[in-house]
Amino acid sequence: MSTGVTVALLGQPNSGKSTLFNALTGLRQHVGNWPGKTVEKKEGSFVHKGKEYRVADLPGSYSLSANSDEEVITRDYIASGEADVVCILADSSQLQRSLFMLADYAGIDVPCFLLLNMSDVAAEQGKKIDAKAIGEKLGIPVIPFSATDKKSYDVFYDALEAVIKDKGLLNVDKLTQQYESIIGYREIYDLIPENVIPGYSAMWIAVKALENDKVVMAKLRAALDDNAYSQIEEAKKNAQGAVATGGCKFAWIDDVLEKAVDAGDKKISLSFLDKIYTSRIWGKPAVILTVLLGLIASFIPAIPLMIVGSLILAVKAPVMGVLTSIGCPEILTLIIGDVVIQSFSYIFKMLGFVFGVTLVFGLLEEVGVMARISYVFDNTMGKLGLQGKSVMPFLVSFGCTMGGAAGARVIDNWGQKVLTIALAWAVPCGAAWATIPMLSTIFFGPGAVLVIVAVLLTMLLHMWITAKIFGAKLVKKEDRYGMIMELPPYHKPKWGALFRYVFGRTKETFIRVTKVILLVCGVFWLLSYSPSGDNGGILYTIGVAIEPVTKIFGMPWQLFLSYVASAVGKEGAIGVISALYNGNSYSSGFMDAMNGAARAENLNELLLANVTKPEALAFIFAMTFNMPCVVALAATYQETHSAKWTSIIVTYYTAVSLILAFLAYHIGLLIW
Amino acid sequence: MIEKEGEQFMDKLLKLLSDGRARTIEMLAAELDTSASDVARKLEYLEIIGVIRRVSFQNGNCKGCTGCSGKGKKDAAPCKGCIPDEGFKNMGVMWEVV
Ligand SMILES: Nc1nc2c(ncn2[C@@H]2O[C@H](COP(=O)(O)OP(=O)(O)OP(=O)(O)O)[C@@H](O)[C@H]2O)c(=O)[nH]1
Ligand SMILES: [Mg+2]
Repeated sequence: MSTGVTVALLGQPNSGKSTLFNALTGLRQHVGNWPGKTVEKKEGSFVHKGKEYRVADLPGSYSLSANSDEEVITRDYIASGEADVVCILADSSQLQRSLFMLADYAGIDVPCFLLLNMSDVAAEQGKKIDAKAIGEKLGIPVIPFSATDKKSYDVFYDALEAVIKDKGLLNVDKLTQQYESIIGYREIYDLIPENVIPGYSAMWIAVKALENDKVVMAKLRAALDDNAYSQIEEAKKNAQGAVATGGCKFAWIDDVLEKAVDAGDKKISLSFLDKIYTSRIWGKPAVILTVLLGLIASFIPAIPLMIVGSLILAVKAPVMGVLTSIGCPEILTLIIGDVVIQSFSYIFKMLGFVFGVTLVFGLLEEVGVMARISYVFDNTMGKLGLQGKSVMPFLVSFGCTMGGAAGARVIDNWGQKVLTIALAWAVPCGAAWATIPMLSTIFFGPGAVLVIVAVLLTMLLHMWITAKIFGAKLVKKEDRYGMIMELPPYHKPKWGALFRYVFGRTKETFIRVTKVILLVCGVFWLLSYSPSGDNGGILYTIGVAIEPVTKIFGMPWQLFLSYVASAVGKEGAIGVISALYNGNSYSSGFMDAMNGAARAENLNELLLANVTKPEALAFIFAMTFNMPCVVALAATYQETHSAKWTSIIVTYYTAVSLILAFLAYHIGLLIW
Repeated sequence: MIEKEGEQFMDKLLKLLSDGRARTIEMLAAELDTSASDVARKLEYLEIIGVIRRVSFQNGNCKGCTGCSGKGKKDAAPCKGCIPDEGFKNMGVMWEVV
């Protein structure tokens, strides 16, 4: 002690080591590196009552295992005897958790004392901690402490002096008793001579051997003769491992804290909402209801943009009239009217739904409901032969199938990954979610809600059947793994951030959708344009030729081409409808406009006049369950690395969407 | 609650984890007759020793996804083009048994 005492500060991350270190040493500190490693070494010194002390601020780590350089350096430093005293810091506000370091320390024979740091936080939480009782069980000084309160440091100095004087060692009897119950502990313990690795007790080494600590095993191999070492290896084979030793450490901690901590009786009680969401019976209905209500609710914020869309449409006739009157070429007038203005009207209506849906579901995520949704569907995933985490790609697919396909990479099993992607295709993406309500409101008015419900139910059924068909090939009967979720607490939304997010998304969508729709609409309009008169255009000729076939699926040729376009991107479908129904009757529409009649200027009316309700229903289903888009296709290939499965999925979806269209059409015929 | 044999408790926990049913931490705590914080610290330990794994849905490894038709609905994907940078927020934590 003549050259001064060295104190090492040991504790889990954020336990307050550096706070204490800085307060003790002030400016008398320097930072270096531990020999040969890049781990920072902070040392300093302080003088108390005329004696000089050196302090080392050890790197924070969860325990003293060999998981990281930090941990190995830390424990070797302590065991080397360089430190005379180890000051272990634990977080009083969560002692059961943070005493793990102490439990892992047990067996290192350096005098130590325990600081129950953050006692101010614990007090605030209403926790009462009897440090004395804990100290008696441990056999070392245990003191409530607050590193941020320099006035309380007297107790620290007192404890330090006491430990130096008494050389108090941690009482590990109870912990040893715990370890004795582990299968294999005794055998290994008996094979380890005392002091075979200096600084560590045989108990500590035996536990690390059970935990398969690579560094300790290497040291044992070096220190023992081959026979003794292989006996240990042999004993390990039938022994329990880190799960058991950890359990013992926790049990010991609980024993130490027993009666010493009054945490203010915290009964586990789920909130009313969570009782429903986590209920075996009510969970699913509740979630489905939530999603439905969410979709319906998203109509409300959609209204303003819908109105903008209608207003844009209203200027179409006047603008075309003006253009004609100033002698603008007919084709240009038509392009501006039928392609540009018409498309923007649709774009804004679509944006209305994008805005509404993003807002409502962003809100659900923000307040914590989304997490419950993914929780509820975990079991269902299991029944589909998938893992619980597949639900995330599905949720993502509601926004973007491509995102869902890319998100499927969290699934390591190839078969399950392909199946997840195959099922994610059935989830209508954001573009579909904007198109479905828009078309449905045109044709079915308030009945649009029913259409949405039907689409959702079809989606579930589709996924179920697809899972059965594809699952047989892709997923072997495998062990199904459990899933644990820590549900976030419900909290109030941050409206500012939410709206920034929603506006950002809407703007992004606006830009992308505008490009696609204008392009698609323009191309299809040109293809269907014929300067000569009513029945011209390449597409018209083709369309009429294939119509007998497309009619089987309940789609007039215009809608069928639109369905084909929806495979490129769902927003494209709107572009095609917009172009073809104007293009088809453009001359009459044009004439009407010229004559001042506004009859055909309204595409909605045009659609209603030309498309029956069953046909519309057929189209909605065909479009929704068609291949999501070319980008999703590319993503699918990229993630599955299988041209075979990618093409199987494409073919399957094309066939199923046509079958669904057929069914929807015939069911529609029965209704209307 | 005195746990005489700590290693048995961990075994029970592991059994529940791998029986293929989804559970929240609270449900695990109820089934094991202990507190949520007890289950939480044990899950933390199991995660550190590599018996269970935290599922990460964070962005990263996704190259271009321009042209993605993602919009509306609950957007948030593991790719920057389709999602705002924040990704999934507030989705809680998920673990799976390795
Ligand atoms: N309320 C309160 N806060 C504290 C106390 N001790 C430390 N803190 C705070 O806890 C945080 C972490 O403290 P640090 O000293 O950096 O913890 P550390 O142990 O050095 O952490 P690592 O270096 O990561 O291992 C800081 O913000 C401190 O201000 C305390 O007694 N009471
Ligand atoms: Mg620090």
